Amino acid sequence: MDIVKQQTVKQMSGRERVLAALRNEPTDRTPVCNPTSVATVELMDLVDAPFPQANREPELMARLAATGYTELGFDTIMPVFTIIQESSALGCKIQWEQKDNWPTVKMREPIWEDVDDINIPKDFLTHPDTQCVLEAIKILKKEYGDEVAVIGKTMGPWSLGYHCFGVEPFLLLSLDDPGKTKLALDRMKEATVQFGIAQIEAGADALTLPDHATGDLVSGEYYKRYLRDLHIEFVERIPIPLILHICGRTVDRMEYIAQTGMAAFHYDSKNEPEESMDIVQKRIALVGNINNPETLFAKEPEDVNVEVVKNLDAGVPLIGPECAIPLQTTIENLQEIPKAVQEWHRTHI
Amino acid sequence: MASVVNIGRRIELVPIDQHFKDITIALYSQELESRAVFRVHTYSRFEGVTKRIQEVADAMQILGGMQQNNDGLLFFPCGEKHEAACRRVFLEACKIAPETSVQPRPLNILDKKSKLTITVDSVENGTYSIRSSGEGRSAERRVAAIAGGLAKLGEMDISKDDPNSVSFSCGQSHDALVGLLLVRAPNVRVFLREEESAAARGVLTAPSQQT
Repeated sequence: MDIVKQQTVKQMSGRERVLAALRNEPTDRTPVCNPTSVATVELMDLVDAPFPQANREPELMARLAATGYTELGFDTIMPVFTIIQESSALGCKIQWEQKDNWPTVKMREPIWEDVDDINIPKDFLTHPDTQCVLEAIKILKKEYGDEVAVIGKTMGPWSLGYHCFGVEPFLLLSLDDPGKTKLALDRMKEATVQFGIAQIEAGADALTLPDHATGDLVSGEYYKRYLRDLHIEFVERIPIPLILHICGRTVDRMEYIAQTGMAAFHYDSKNEPEESMDIVQKRIALVGNINNPETLFAKEPEDVNVEVVKNLDAGVPLIGPECAIPLQTTIENLQEIPKAVQEWHRTHI
Repeated sequence: MASVVNIGRRIELVPIDQHFKDITIALYSQELESRAVFRVHTYSRFEGVTKRIQEVADAMQILGGMQQNNDGLLFFPCGEKHEAACRRVFLEACKIAPETSVQPRPLNILDKKSKLTITVDSVENGTYSIRSSGEGRSAERRVAAIAGGLAKLGEMDISKDDPNSVSFSCGQSHDALVGLLLVRAPNVRVFLREEESAAARGVLTAPSQQT
């Protein structure tokens, strides 16, 4: 981030700030951005929009998502809390859970066994669980579209592969038959593109694209072999800033990610901000890194502040949690993120 | 429109209240005139929610020997925080169904592991001595273990001279609180593990780590 440039930038709305940072342009201050959920059980009560209903009813989804801006002070609103909306529309069985837990795909009951089973249903975009997202984005765009960036989410084919084939069968396929794996990814990518474009039409300003080639199971070379070119294709076909999300230690693939043309990489706290910035070299923005399970969930605002400052000092251009925050996270810890950003800018003019 | 309020630091949470419309109830800690005070709070605005919150606060007063001021803030008469103990009082109070008669827990229990009766005596200056009676196994070991459990749950100190004695740093007695903690003290590890696992609900894991 260029602090000298910042001094000459007029005051921006949250939306302008986020979109400028995603374009690698100067901003009046570093935007606070949540590419994934910041919903908590207390915020659900505040606006009477609890899980699981808030994942299935657009008005509730929009209302809960809006608290990220109205109550927490983020520059973004991100209504797609879960990672299973498209999988539900593809036919996966979903465990919807209760207010205090995330819905999950029943991956022990996969819907596809072979590449030839892959089928994107005709009603994929009109299914209630994809429609819910599209309608929520429309509501948010109408109500907050001038003020903040509305961020949607479309899952990448690697994540869809886990959900639809099961984690183990999909990983084994990638080891045993690279050709079939590439074919599977190629067929599943159409779901990513279709849902992404539908969200743009609904009013999304940017899209998070999680593709869980995570550091614990998939190497950097795997990323290059199977996903880099696909991600380049997404940038070409989905005409909006894309924020790639991959959990875990990912420095071994950041070079490849930086080559994709994605607007940003949503990165995990297992990567140091400075080493990550050194790798991406402004070819792609970084966002995230504030630790969820230890810091935001279990520590104090002062600890959150330290992590925010570490990112700002490293020049990370957008600040936010590393992933969807735990549902029991304290409100004061989340409010500390924008507070810390503003404080840092006051002392770094 | 309702808004988030600044009512201190949240120290405990019941994400789903089984007894009232699945609301979330939280315990917040503040300082008032150098004294630690606590507020039971929910952001829910369902009809009847104020009554439910007061029920929890009432139960905390009985189970933990706490008091409540006119602003609804709870505190221990000694003015100390006793945060870990207070969190447990809150969690137990939330488990009690409305309209249930709440009584302070007695200062003795039957230890199921040893079949011994464990009794806690308030000695003086906030010190409690633990002893066993009846026919049972490993009396010495169980008494020491339960003293350790009390110390852990209530952030109490174990006496250097007597491993069967524990005390509060405030130097004052808290009989109701000790009675409440005594129920969990014999199985403190299991209890803490269960609590930890309940708290971890709602942490999203990557699909690769899900089953």
